Amino acid sequence: MTTASNLPGPPAAALNLPGPPAAALNLPGPPAAASQAGVADPSLTEDSAAVRRAIEYYADQGWTDGLPVVPVTESYLAEFLAQTDRDPADVLLAMPHLNRECTVRLAAINAALAGCRPEYLPVVLAAWESLAAEGYATRAIWQSTTGTAPFLIVNGPVCERIGLNSKGNVFGSGFRANATIGRAIRLGVINAFGLRPRELDQATQGTPAKYTACMAENEEESPWAPLHVEFGLDPADSAVTALTIRSTLHVEARHTQMPEQLATDIGGTISRTGALVHETTSALLVLSPEHARLFHNAGWSKEDVRQYLYENAVRTPAELAAAGKDALSSRTRWRLPSDHPDAQPGSAVNGDVPVRMLNSPAAVLIVVAGAGNAGVSAIVETMGPRGGPPPVTKVHMAP
Amino acid sequence: MPAVSICTDPFVLTAQAMARSYGFPGFEYLSIPHPVASLTAEQIRDRVRDFMPDLLRILGVE
Repeated sequence: MTTASNLPGPPAAALNLPGPPAAALNLPGPPAAASQAGVADPSLTEDSAAVRRAIEYYADQGWTDGLPVVPVTESYLAEFLAQTDRDPADVLLAMPHLNRECTVRLAAINAALAGCRPEYLPVVLAAWESLAAEGYATRAIWQSTTGTAPFLIVNGPVCERIGLNSKGNVFGSGFRANATIGRAIRLGVINAFGLRPRELDQATQGTPAKYTACMAENEEESPWAPLHVEFGLDPADSAVTALTIRSTLHVEARHTQMPEQLATDIGGTISRTGALVHETTSALLVLSPEHARLFHNAGWSKEDVRQYLYENAVRTPAELAAAGKDALSSRTRWRLPSDHPDAQPGSAVNGDVPVRMLNSPAAVLIVVAGAGNAGVSAIVETMGPRGGPPPVTKVHMAP
Repeated sequence: MPAVSICTDPFVLTAQAMARSYGFPGFEYLSIPHPVASLTAEQIRDRVRDFMPDLLRILGVE
């Protein structure tokens, strides 16, 4: 059989253009071919020195996240701005305490820098609007030592149109739209607001999600209504829901067909004591299709899952006391030991009654994503909502 | 009203960046050792005793 990978290195193979089936399946080729992956044909790189100069220029300006960016000219920017009928001067998100704002123009520049295609821009704009509606960004969360990341969930027909991944490796690399839309927001945070690490961004450690975090919901394999429909939009609408997140935690549960066991495993992941700064925590539950079907086949709705988690994501008073988190500060309502001078009288828990780590069923959002190949789901620890609806924001496509 | 901003040492770079963004590049902060959040009440009292002369100096108290 002849495949691209054992032909003597034609330019098309080096550039990863679609090839015959074996190449499309990414079967390992001979070492010589593998060593050519990523190397472009000389005819495409006559100006490679100029490209490298531009990349270095951007790095020297501090306009990057550490990875190379795509150089942006006014004419390239115009291709992005043609994707929206909004005024380039429109403000998407303002931070008065920094005297900075992100306009449509700045959002477009950073989308281009991030490697977006121009047609991704309406999703990027909706993401900024969703972040503004969510409210944590304008309350300076991106300067906090906690070190959060903006996390985007995209729903609706736009996902297929621009190739957003909702299936295998949904949090991982390999999909341009996911990788670059999430990065467009982070580059905007750095460049529009000047929130550079170790300057105005005081994150103690941050999170790998700060490079990029954008997923689509696997609506096709979900037994339930997708997120945007659950919160009032039409299935034909496209929407972005932006959340401020901390960690993404695996829930490995390939062992059971019982919804109570699965939900208890998930609840135990939500209720870890390290998640507790405040009295309670909140989470986005990203169920794999297998886990979603397990709940659905047992007759559980999303609301049933949420209710079970609300009642069973708990810690005993003894567990909280052992971690020094059994009382609340009278000033900040943060958790601290009951013998701390700031402990609010009467706030300490004791006895045997388990303490709920969620303040309501609505503190858990649920989406379905990932491949339908294993019982692996995820808890994404969010900074909210803890009761209010999430900022589901419609994507406005250019006319 | 005269005021002094107090921060712990690791926050000085950020504090200076905020001062620059407000147009006061030379703004003087009172910087104290880190951490504070986990100190006991007695340790907090010691901290305050230690930094009081510096605080009064920044305020301009003779």
